[in-house]
Amino acid sequence: MTVLKLPTFSPSTLTNAASLLRILALAAIAGAAISSRLFAVVNFESIIHEFDPWFNYRATRVLASQGFTEFWNWFDPTAWYPLGRVVGGTIYPGLMATSGVIYNILHALHLPVDIRNVCVLLAPGFSGLTAWATYMLTKELKDESAGLLAAIFIGIAPGYISRSVAGSYDNEAIAIFLLMITFYIWIRALKDGSVLYGTLAAVFYYYMVAAWGGYAFITNMIPLHAFVLLLMGRFSHRLYSAYSAWYAVGTLASMQVPFVGFQPVQTSEHMAALGVFGLLQLIAFVEIVRSYVASKQFQVMLRWFLVASGIAGGLAIVGLTITKTIAPWTGRFYSLWDTGYAKKYIPIIASVSEHQPTAWPAFFMDLHMLIFLFPAGVILCFKELREEHVFVIIYAVMASYFAGVMVRLMLTLTPVVCMAAAIALSSLLDTYLSVEEPARPDSNGVDETSAPGADVPAEVTVSKKKKKDVAAAAAAAAAHSAATTATKAKTKPSATYGIFGLDTRLVVIVNAIFMLVMFVLHCTWVTSSAYSSPSVVLASRRPDGSQNIIDDFREAYYWLRQNTPQDAVVMSWWDYGYQIAGMADRPTLVDNNTWNNTHIATVGKAMSSSEEVSYPILRKHDVDYILIIFGGLIGYSGDDINKFLWMVRIAQGVWPDEIKEPNYFTPRGEYKVDDQASEAMKNSLMYKMSYYRFNELFSGSPAFDRVRNQQLPREGPKLDYIEEAFTSENWIVRIYEVKKEDPLGRDLKTANAFDGGKKRKPSKPTSRRRALTA
Amino acid sequence: MQPRLLSWLGIALTLLVAPAWAKSSTGDKVLIVTDAKLEMSDYSQFWDGLRSRGYELTFRKTSEDEPATSAFDVPSFSHIILLAPSAKTYPQDLSPQSLVHLLSDRTQPTNILFVLQPSTPSVPLRDLAREFGISFPPPATPLIDYFSAVSPANATSLLLSPPLSQHTAGFESGKILYHGISHLRSSNPLLVNFLNAPPTSYAADPLEPADAVVEAAASGGEGLWAGGRMGLVTGFEVLLGGGRAMWVGSLDLFADAATSIDGEATANNAYALALAAWTFQETSVLRIDAVEHRRISESAPREQYRIKDEIIYRIHVSKFDPTTGEWVPTSEIEDMQLEFTMLDPHIRTALKPASEEGWYEAQFMAPDRHGVFKFIVDWRRKGYTALHSSTTVSVVPFRHNEYPRFLSSAWPYYLGALSTSAAFVLFCALWLLGGDEEAKKKKTQ
Amino acid sequence: MAPPKKVSTTASSSTSAITSALQDLVQSYKENTPKRVKIIDAFLLFIVLSGVAQFVYCALITNYPFNAFLAGFGSSIGQFVLTAAFRAQVNPATRSQFTIISPERAFADFCFGSIVLHFFVYNFLG
Repeated sequence: MTVLKLPTFSPSTLTNAASLLRILALAAIAGAAISSRLFAVVNFESIIHEFDPWFNYRATRVLASQGFTEFWNWFDPTAWYPLGRVVGGTIYPGLMATSGVIYNILHALHLPVDIRNVCVLLAPGFSGLTAWATYMLTKELKDESAGLLAAIFIGIAPGYISRSVAGSYDNEAIAIFLLMITFYIWIRALKDGSVLYGTLAAVFYYYMVAAWGGYAFITNMIPLHAFVLLLMGRFSHRLYSAYSAWYAVGTLASMQVPFVGFQPVQTSEHMAALGVFGLLQLIAFVEIVRSYVASKQFQVMLRWFLVASGIAGGLAIVGLTITKTIAPWTGRFYSLWDTGYAKKYIPIIASVSEHQPTAWPAFFMDLHMLIFLFPAGVILCFKELREEHVFVIIYAVMASYFAGVMVRLMLTLTPVVCMAAAIALSSLLDTYLSVEEPARPDSNGVDETSAPGADVPAEVTVSKKKKKDVAAAAAAAAAHSAATTATKAKTKPSATYGIFGLDTRLVVIVNAIFMLVMFVLHCTWVTSSAYSSPSVVLASRRPDGSQNIIDDFREAYYWLRQNTPQDAVVMSWWDYGYQIAGMADRPTLVDNNTWNNTHIATVGKAMSSSEEVSYPILRKHDVDYILIIFGGLIGYSGDDINKFLWMVRIAQGVWPDEIKEPNYFTPRGEYKVDDQASEAMKNSLMYKMSYYRFNELFSGSPAFDRVRNQQLPREGPKLDYIEEAFTSENWIVRIYEVKKEDPLGRDLKTANAFDGGKKRKPSKPTSRRRALTA
Repeated sequence: MQPRLLSWLGIALTLLVAPAWAKSSTGDKVLIVTDAKLEMSDYSQFWDGLRSRGYELTFRKTSEDEPATSAFDVPSFSHIILLAPSAKTYPQDLSPQSLVHLLSDRTQPTNILFVLQPSTPSVPLRDLAREFGISFPPPATPLIDYFSAVSPANATSLLLSPPLSQHTAGFESGKILYHGISHLRSSNPLLVNFLNAPPTSYAADPLEPADAVVEAAASGGEGLWAGGRMGLVTGFEVLLGGGRAMWVGSLDLFADAATSIDGEATANNAYALALAAWTFQETSVLRIDAVEHRRISESAPREQYRIKDEIIYRIHVSKFDPTTGEWVPTSEIEDMQLEFTMLDPHIRTALKPASEEGWYEAQFMAPDRHGVFKFIVDWRRKGYTALHSSTTVSVVPFRHNEYPRFLSSAWPYYLGALSTSAAFVLFCALWLLGGDEEAKKKKTQ
Repeated sequence: MAPPKKVSTTASSSTSAITSALQDLVQSYKENTPKRVKIIDAFLLFIVLSGVAQFVYCALITNYPFNAFLAGFGSSIGQFVLTAAFRAQVNPATRSQFTIISPERAFADFCFGSIVLHFFVYNFLG
């Protein structure tokens, strides 16, 4: 008996229509995902955003123009001058290789797409594929309707969009897609016990290793899943086949990437996978031997043998780690466990803004309603607890922890939140959309057991977005009818209830649709306002409401490009290194790769010391120009004076005797730039460069720094060893030129004084003998 | 009439004595700045000597503005002789700042010869000299020496024997008459000592010569301008391609009256002309003509070398020959060094003269580190032009297919991998061939 | 999974229990394993020996070049686990755990996995 009368169709029509609708829905989801990432291109232009993508773009340009072999062996003499950078061996080449392949395919089809456009639009393109991969994975967990929900969630969730807008040409653009597809293939391999899928998982894992440093997440998630299954007593030969195939082929493949090298057998991050692999071999061996001998004693002894060898293996790994044969956890990953570690020992890691802990509002902003559907979905996983549900539970727990530790790792949390929320919402909608009515457990013995079977085609609703699977409904109906036949004997009420009333259903369904609409509106708003700024170009509003574009960065970089010799070396803080290399095309001293702490500390020392101390450092490194960012005129708070304390800290890490952080604070411990500023602060190169001639803008009254909200002293700083070369329109970027040595061999301060007309003190000959007694 | 005849005779003499023709490597035009008190005819032998070397002399007084030293930022003269030691003020284009600017111009440097009067250098010159690291004694204290004086009564006129050096070519031997002041040199490495004061000399007021010693004794020996440390003639080479300057403490060194004393001829003229030759960049002038670098096995230079490459570096140096006015290759330099530097020199090796005249070469293996390196030749010797050359190249690591392959120590691994593959193929064959067993079993069951 | 026909008697001391259990094990193995699975087991034994030999060479003599060792040893390990998985998928005793993998499909998967493995091994070897 059905609650509603629905039209009847033949089963094959229904299945075909269902698949067609699913395909259309996925295509629409992909379209939505791609178009919501195009705000930046529409508002500004097709430009590469941020900092890291500029380096990836340069590398891709080399790949596109010179071919793969040259790219593989590319030595970049303009980065980290004069150390150079062996790019071929120090990057994850997956992203550039993907762009290169797409570029070559398009050109082979005679579509002359510029490499910049390929790079800018790669991330949106792959986001469509990520939606499809999430659909496939959630389909394994529950059913197709949950899959579609998960696909649309991840298609527009701001947590993922933030790293994959058009123009954000970074490793995460393809890495999240690879993450999802690797996990999906792993779940398929586990379900089927198939070596084919296991090897495919290994191949996609290899692609992931080539693409992103976060591959360690997969390297530890899959073993953790296998280990928990073992602890739950769910060892099976399917698990053995899938895991062994994935580990053996995947680890060997991952070592092909030069940047990874021998790490998979030598570092702690990869030891969990090796440990679980060994454990699986032992358990499989013991299982097979056990099947041949029934003796209880032998079996007990086998069990003890297993436990003992497992513990011995674990101790061996620990021992090797202690003796440093296996490298301990590197700073990047160790700081996830010990959150205070980075600030003390590796200030560079602690200073990156993406590595700060997550604030609570960030969860809501990035995930909206999904964040409170997420625990419900995880609990629903506990109800069925198949192997794939165990995986989702583990993934959810680990990802929640990591997302709480570092803002950047919200990205790995977003897929599992989308999947779990989809499961929860889909279960809710299933219950309230189901038109099947349970049979009443009353006196007449014969139940309409045949009725559910005949009613199955009619029960199916044909709704636009949500689709009920015919098989699932039939199974539910069959289970239900089995339950009712069982209860007939027991005369106990059935555990399954249905929702009859149309009004009850409407309330819940309309509420759910309202929340989904709010979700879409929120995501679109967050994407357009917060995550679509190219950060190379700033936009603000004038008092009359019109938009004011601040293009100082590009103005300054292009000045450098057009007015300086090709081999002029530019020194700046490492944040801007990639942008200078990409847009100004000049050698830089340090850049965002931050691989050499001492070099960065040298730059920090040069910026925070007085001119006399900095000048020899500048000349030794052949620095011709210094570039700083100063936001005091228009109130841009991401400038170098705000980052100055990090420069001091990093320099102090290498030269603790010469640079001391307390020297840059006032005696009361405040960070001031006005006349109370400490001597070290006033004499530092960064202070002088920022405020040089700043008081000329204020014609008489003292200068006011709008970021620090302090008034500067009346006398501005004087520069002897460097001279101003360029200041951009809003004084955001200031470029200084380093003077060459004085022709007469004097130090530049006295040379400048002489040019200004000052006279030196006369000197007298000193005695070489002891005093004559008069 | 008499002076004119003498001057013609002087020309003839100079033509016999001095080299037949001598040119400067930087130009012919000389500007001589004098003041109103001096008579140019008193120095006629010096001018004739200069003219005979091919210089064009232009005279100007400090009170005049024309001819200017530079027009539209282009120097008009290659050399300046400042013979106005008592002028209180100089015109704008001869101010101390402008003179330093003219000296430091890399493309067209101007060489300057500063000549000072016996007693008191003028204030602008005093201040300018301090920038060069040269300090003068208090006013009106000429150099006094009782041991090398011409006569005990005239203790300020000294007969000195300048040392012979390759920088004063043209001066063979002899004594010169010196009547002037000494100065103190700082430790600036760009100063070149030409003539030091005699060890028994000191600077004092000739009327009260003992006062200086007494005062200095009271302050423990400080402030006594005495001894062989004091300089009389000091040269100065501006860094990296600028001009040369020279400070001479005696105006009378150039005078005609000083060419003979008590009937004996002194070597003043030859010495003065030798000093001018050095200052005007005739002698001891070197330059780098060409720099080559390549792999030993190749013939063309490269922008990128590989680590552990054998590299050969060659440099060509030539010297200016004032007699012919040509640049002639020279292999005289014995201590030139090459540094292969990335922040600090990784390789420092000697550049030895090669078989061809003027070429020096060095051969070395590129270091094991990759990076951006520079070939630096930085040769500085007092009196000679500094040679400096810097060439930037990259040193890249091995390409992915340049590593050694098929190592003998890896044969067990090659064997293992090959045997596994072979066994796999064999196993597949066996499995496929024995495929009927399953079907047979099923049939029998 | 059929239990063996013979049941060993409990011995007094554990060592004799172990030896008798081992004898039972060998006997049971000879009887209950199909011939094709024994071919697989022979292949497995060969791979184990080859891997052990490479490991001993690396540990005792030299581990340069490390990438060649990893490639050769990885080839042994990879081939071993792939064959062991194939054995599990084909052996009648354990085949029931694989619901959708037929023995033919198992062989095809095995070949695919091995070829991909060997491709990576030879890329890493030299």
